[in-house]
Amino acid sequence: MHILDTEGLTKRFPTVTALDGLTVTTGPGVTGLVGANGAGKSTLIKILLGLLPPTAGGARVLGLDVTTRGADIRRLVGYMPEHECLPPDVSATELVVHLARMSGLPRTAARERAADVLRHVGLAEERYRPIGGYSTGMKQRVKLAQALVHDPKLILLDEPTNGLDPRGRDEMLTLIRRIGAEFGISVLVTSHLLGELERVCDHVIVIDAGRLLRSSAIGEFTQATRSVTVEVDEGTQALADRLAELGHGVAPHGRMLLVEVTGPDTLDAIRDATADLGLCLIRLERGRQRIEDVFKETAGV
Amino acid sequence: MSEIYDIGYRHYDGPRLGRGHTTRALTVHSLRGVFGLGRPARSKLVPFSLAAIMVLPAIVSIAIMALMRREGMSYSGFAVIMQAVLAIFLASQAPTVVAPDLRFRVLPLYLSRPVTITEYVGAKVVAMTVALYALIAVPLTLMFAGELLVDLPGPPRTKEYLGAMLTGLLLAVLLAAFGLAIASLTPRRGLGVASVIALYLLASASVPIMYSTLLSAGDEDAARWAWLINPFWLVDAVQVWVFGTTPNSEGGYPDGPVSFVIVVLLIAAAVAALALRYRKAASR
Ligand SMILES: Nc1ncnc2c1ncn2[C@@H]1O[C@H](COP(=O)(O)OP(=O)(O)OP(=O)(O)O)[C@@H](O)[C@H]1O
Ligand SMILES: [Mg+2]
Repeated sequence: MHILDTEGLTKRFPTVTALDGLTVTTGPGVTGLVGANGAGKSTLIKILLGLLPPTAGGARVLGLDVTTRGADIRRLVGYMPEHECLPPDVSATELVVHLARMSGLPRTAARERAADVLRHVGLAEERYRPIGGYSTGMKQRVKLAQALVHDPKLILLDEPTNGLDPRGRDEMLTLIRRIGAEFGISVLVTSHLLGELERVCDHVIVIDAGRLLRSSAIGEFTQATRSVTVEVDEGTQALADRLAELGHGVAPHGRMLLVEVTGPDTLDAIRDATADLGLCLIRLERGRQRIEDVFKETAGV
Repeated sequence: MSEIYDIGYRHYDGPRLGRGHTTRALTVHSLRGVFGLGRPARSKLVPFSLAAIMVLPAIVSIAIMALMRREGMSYSGFAVIMQAVLAIFLASQAPTVVAPDLRFRVLPLYLSRPVTITEYVGAKVVAMTVALYALIAVPLTLMFAGELLVDLPGPPRTKEYLGAMLTGLLLAVLLAAFGLAIASLTPRRGLGVASVIALYLLASASVPIMYSTLLSAGDEDAARWAWLINPFWLVDAVQVWVFGTTPNSEGGYPDGPVSFVIVVLLIAAAVAALALRYRKAASR
C-alpha cells in the first residue's frame, strides 16, 4: 500500500503557488522530503493532514482522501510542527498525556503511552519539570513524543533537526531511523539538507518551488551526495586541476570545490594534493551540501 | 543498583474513543485550568479567593435568617450585587483559558488530531461558563438550603431561587462567550485581563451617567434603556421579564423581551467572533 500519493497536487496562495502539479508516491519506511526555504514542504504536510484544501489535484494518505477523510487521517497520523508549539508552564508528561487524550486514548492508557514515548525519545526525570526550562533539543523531543503518543501509522515531521547542534541532530536522526525501522511507524521527514537525511531515509523526494525534482529510493541518491566540500585558502584552481588530472570528479562551488568521493582514496588524494601544492586546507566537509546545489550539478546527467 | 531495561516499542491496540470523549476531556482540562488545579499554588490564589468572596454573602445571609429570623439576601439580586467580583473573575481567568494556546501556538497540536475548531472553541466556552455558573449557583444554593433548614415563617422562596438559578446560567453563558472573545483577540495574558476589565468598567460607569443625563432631560423611557449597557443589569432585565422579579435597577427596565433578544444577539456575536478568531489562528 502507498503511505501517501499525490496526483497533480496544486496549492495556490494569493501571491504564490506553493505546490505546482505535484505527483508523487511513497511506500512504508522513512521518506525524506527535501527542499529549500519556501519549496512547499510545510504546505504539503498541512494538505496531507487535511488541514489545508488543495487548489487542484488530490492526495491520499494511507489510502484515505485528504479532502473527504481528514478526520480519519488525523486519527492515524502524528504531526510534529516546524515551529515552537509547547506551552512553557506545563511539564512534558502533563502535555503529552493531555494530547494523548485528545487523540482519543482513555486516561490510564494515555498515561502509560506518554511515559513510554517520553522514555523512547530520551526524556528522563526532567519530564516532570515545566517545559519552559528545557533546551531546544529537549523541546524537539517533546514535540516528537506528542506526535508518537497515540501510536500512529505514519508521522509527519517538519524539520525535526531545526535548531539542533550537530550532536542533537545526530541523536534526532538516529531516533527517526529507529521509529521507521524498529517501531514500524512510517515517517515523512522534511529538511533543507539531503545530506543529513541520506543516513536515515529509504526514499527521498526532492521538491523545488512546489515542483517535483526527483523521487527515488535512497540508493540512487548516494551518488549525488557522496561528495565532499573542499575549501583552501588560495590556489583553488590549481587544486581542481590536479584532482581532475588524477581522475576525480571536481566541480567548482563558489570559493569551494565539490569533489566526488569514490572511495577512501579520494580523501587521501585531496590531502596529498593540497600538501603537494603547499595549500592551506580550511575545510573538508562531507554530506551537508544544500540540496539545490547538488541537484543543479547532477540534474543534467 | 538499578538497571535500565529497554523493553522496545510497544504498539497500542486499546480503544480509541470518539469526539464526545475528547471534547469532554478538553472541557474538564480547561475548567481545571480556570481554577488553577494541577498548577502551582499561586495560580489557585485568585480564582479561589474570588470564589470565597462570592460565598461570603450566602453565609452572612444564612446567619441573618437563623439569628434574626427574617429573610436574607434576595436570590434575584445576587448576581447584580456581586457583579464586580464576577467581572474580576472573568477578566482574570478568561485569558488563562484561551491565551496560552494562541500565544505559544499550541493549536496545531490539537488540530492535527481528531479535534475540530468548533469542538475546541465549544469546550473552552463551556468550561468558562461552568466556572462562572459555579460562582453564582453555589452561593445561591447554599442560601436556599439555609432557608429551608432555618425554616422561616411563610413558604420558602423556591420560585425566586429557581429563577435566579436559570438567569444565572444565561448570565454565565453571556459573560463566558464575551470574555473569551475579547481575551482571544490578544495572545498576551495581561492585556487580555486589562481589556476585559476596561470594558466592564466602561459598561458600568457609563450607565449611571447616561441614566441621570436622560432622566434630567425628562426622558424616563429612554433612561431605562441605559441599564441594558451593562451585562449584569441586562440579564436582570431578562429575569424581570421572565420571572416578574423586582428590578435591581432604579426605575426598572424597558418592557418586553427586548433584553432577552439583546442577550441572544450578543452571545451569537461573541461566538461568531471566537469562531472567526480561531479560523484565522488555524490557518497560520
Ligand atoms: N498561509 C499562507 N498564505 C500565503 N502564502 C503562504 C502560506 N503558507 C505558505 N505560503 C507560501 O507558500 C510557499 C511555500 O511555503 P512552505 O511553508 O510550504 O515552504 P517550506 O518548504 O516549508 O519552507 P521552509 O523550509 O521555510 O519551512 C512560500 O512561498 C510561502 O511564503
Ligand atoms: Mg516549512
